[in-house]
Amino acid sequence: MIKRCLTVPGRFESLAQIAEFIGETARAADWNDDEVYHVQMAVDEACSNVMEHAYGPGGPGEIDLTCCIQDQGDLVISIHDNGMPFDPSVVPEPPIGADLESLPEGGLGLYFMRKLMDQVTFQFDERDGNVLTMVKRRRQ
Amino acid sequence: MRVAQTPLAGNVICVKVEGRLDAATVPAFEQALQRLLLEGQARLVVDLGEVNYISSSGLRVLLTARRQSRSRGGDLFLCSLRPRVKEIFQMVGFLSVFGVYAASEDAAAAFPQPAV
Repeated sequence: MIKRCLTVPGRFESLAQIAEFIGETARAADWNDDEVYHVQMAVDEACSNVMEHAYGPGGPGEIDLTCCIQDQGDLVISIHDNGMPFDPSVVPEPPIGADLESLPEGGLGLYFMRKLMDQVTFQFDERDGNVLTMVKRRRQ
Repeated sequence: MRVAQTPLAGNVICVKVEGRLDAATVPAFEQALQRLLLEGQARLVVDLGEVNYISSSGLRVLLTARRQSRSRGGDLFLCSLRPRVKEIFQMVGFLSVFGVYAASEDAAAAFPQPAV
């Protein structure tokens, strides 16, 4: 198993560094460029949400990323923050294929995360904060 | 990320973007579009040929600017999308919303002739 970690300030300026970190790790495990791009986008959307909503303008904390390549090749990414709790059930689904002119605020990032990854799980507790875990399975 | 503007035939402005369009860089892109709209320029082409990544925040800015340009009697067309960026537009149904062209000149030619 390969495991790599990165801690960055929860500010938008960290997004390019996060994309580089994810790209390096996924390429080290021989994921192809299309798959790497999809994982980078899902992580970018997830971290952007943390920066904008969990931390917000009140003052950013840190984001801890852990990227694991499991023995069978699956990619498991955990994103941890100590910001406001996030409840995905309150985020409206974007009207894909319908009236995009009235696209509500939010929801598009979460849509991409679910579309691009095989598994997306949110957890929150008072002590540990938010932990988002996303899995991309290795295609045989 | 860099943004540059070029006038095209038919009173159209081409906004060419280079680099990553993520939550860190989108505000500068949004400002450039909003400035043009405030100046009364509503016939816009956004050239994404040198954009290697666009996040949902970039998509939202394009959608908003398109709505604003149309409400002012113009439109906002896109051109030169790279395959991966095009795939992202496809995923959210944006390819059926935006006029998408191979090159900026094709996009400019798709605008109706301005009234004389």
